[in-house]
Amino acid sequence: MNHCVPDFEIQMEEEEEYPISISKKPSTQNDEIMELLWQNGQVVMHSQNQRPFRKPPPPPNTNGGDGVIPAREIRSSEAESYGHQHLFIQEDEMASWLHYPINEDPPTFDHNDFCTDMLYPHQNASASQNHSSAAVQSSVRTAELRHPPPRPPIPPPRRPEQIHNFTKHGNASSSSKAAAAQQTVVDSCDTPAATAERAETGRASVSAAAVKAAESGGGRETATCDVTVTSSPGGSSGSAEPVQREPVVDRKRKGREPEDSEFQSEDVDFESPESKKQVRGSTSTKRSRAAEVHNLSERRRRDRINEKMKALQELIPRCNKSDKASMLDEAIEYLKSLQLQVQMMSMGCGMVPMMFPGIQQYMPPMGMGIGMGMAMEMGMGMNRPVMPFPNMLASSTLPAATAAAHLGPRFPMPPFHMPHVPAPDSSRMQAANQSDNNNMLNSLGTLDPDKSIIPNFTDPYQQYLGLQQAQLQLMQSMNQPNARKPSTSRGQENPEKHPSEET
Amino acid sequence: MSSRRSRSRQTSSSRNITDDQINDLVSKLQQLLPEIRDRRSDKVSASKVLQETCNYIRSLHREVDDLSERLSELLATTDTAQAAIIRNLLMQ
Repeated sequence: MNHCVPDFEIQMEEEEEYPISISKKPSTQNDEIMELLWQNGQVVMHSQNQRPFRKPPPPPNTNGGDGVIPAREIRSSEAESYGHQHLFIQEDEMASWLHYPINEDPPTFDHNDFCTDMLYPHQNASASQNHSSAAVQSSVRTAELRHPPPRPPIPPPRRPEQIHNFTKHGNASSSSKAAAAQQTVVDSCDTPAATAERAETGRASVSAAAVKAAESGGGRETATCDVTVTSSPGGSSGSAEPVQREPVVDRKRKGREPEDSEFQSEDVDFESPESKKQVRGSTSTKRSRAAEVHNLSERRRRDRINEKMKALQELIPRCNKSDKASMLDEAIEYLKSLQLQVQMMSMGCGMVPMMFPGIQQYMPPMGMGIGMGMAMEMGMGMNRPVMPFPNMLASSTLPAATAAAHLGPRFPMPPFHMPHVPAPDSSRMQAANQSDNNNMLNSLGTLDPDKSIIPNFTDPYQQYLGLQQAQLQLMQSMNQPNARKPSTSRGQENPEKHPSEET
Repeated sequence: MSSRRSRSRQTSSSRNITDDQINDLVSKLQQLLPEIRDRRSDKVSASKVLQETCNYIRSLHREVDDLSERLSELLATTDTAQAAIIRNLLMQ
């Protein structure tokens, strides 16, 4: 907060002010003004700010006043305006009880008019303000007249202050209305307090009867305070007797010292308990407003999540779960299954071209990853025994091996294999298919046991694992072109098939 | 798929859901997403994870459709027995 610094200053000033007021009883009038101003409410803060500056000669006065007003405008909160209204009411209250006892003592002075002038000075012209300033002077003078011994040194500096104040108001009201309103409000707030204090101290020092009248006034004020909600207990206690002021001062100090940074909480100490509650309420509303904003953003975030959750739920089939956890659970499982499915399908896409050479029948029983590795090994293993065979066979099996090599590590299907591989192998694919059906072997007129062997291959092929069968099958598929050719490899082929049959 | 069918029902254990459970599941979900798998888990909001999950599931659906189309084309060109085998394998 930016006002914490001036507030703290005020506090310091006030703290050094109070011991003086307590110790020096006879000459406390000047200091007591300060006290009462403090007790009256938060505007008093402002007047306090002006006060210390105003005690020295007038030029710093204006500076101090001008410097304070922007600071006041900075802290424009609800509590502030509320405090203003309070102050008006308080001053009204004070005016009522001021009017009551002082009418007894000095009949020459109309305090009601004075106070109304003070309360609504911005509506009046500068003439009324001059009149009120004259009234203030007269009141000061009446107070002086009553107390010759202590007064004479004090009033001379004070009177120029007041005059300066009101002349300043006149100028301000003529120049700019808003600023004038602000200033006049502030100053009218402290001047009635000052006059009230003055009149009160005058009474207290003049006669015990006057003190009693003040007490009755104080009692009446407290009585009205019950009705009108807002009044300053400090003001009433100050008007009743100065002894009561000490605990009030102590309480204020105690309350102020821990919370020096918070402006409003400092004000709270000066307010009556009722308004204290309201100020606290304003801070709590501010806090709750922040919490509300936080809640709003939180709710927005949750709405977003819920929206996504709903979209997710639509994407997941057979998901009629209502709670989030099972929904997410389902989503995780579904995601895993989808990933697996995609993997297998891409593997299947890769497998289909690989099947054409004839290895495919041994793929299903194998696990997918292992199968691919096995296929690769088979391809590699095949090439080596095949190499003694005619070289064109190696070239024909090579695409399968490369396909297996492509598919082995990861399972994305190389796209160029799709059209490429089946095309050259189309003739062999036919042959391979025929080899499955033993038609080719029959047509080739190979050994008779092959007829019995090959059904054994195809039927229980899920049980067959290992390289030998793969090699055998490949041998068959490779033997087909060999068989078409007039080659002598058939003799070698047969002895290989027989041991495989025995396994 | 078999994995989908044999999915263990953990919903009964997570009857009363807390935010911790949700966060746990969301981070688990995040691990499945290749786009945001490598990011720090605390930097990705839950809504982001869910959004990515939706996108990823859609992309997987697309991929599955594409692959199944390709597979069916391939299998149509091949022998019916082999196609049956592969189909058996894939559609288990």
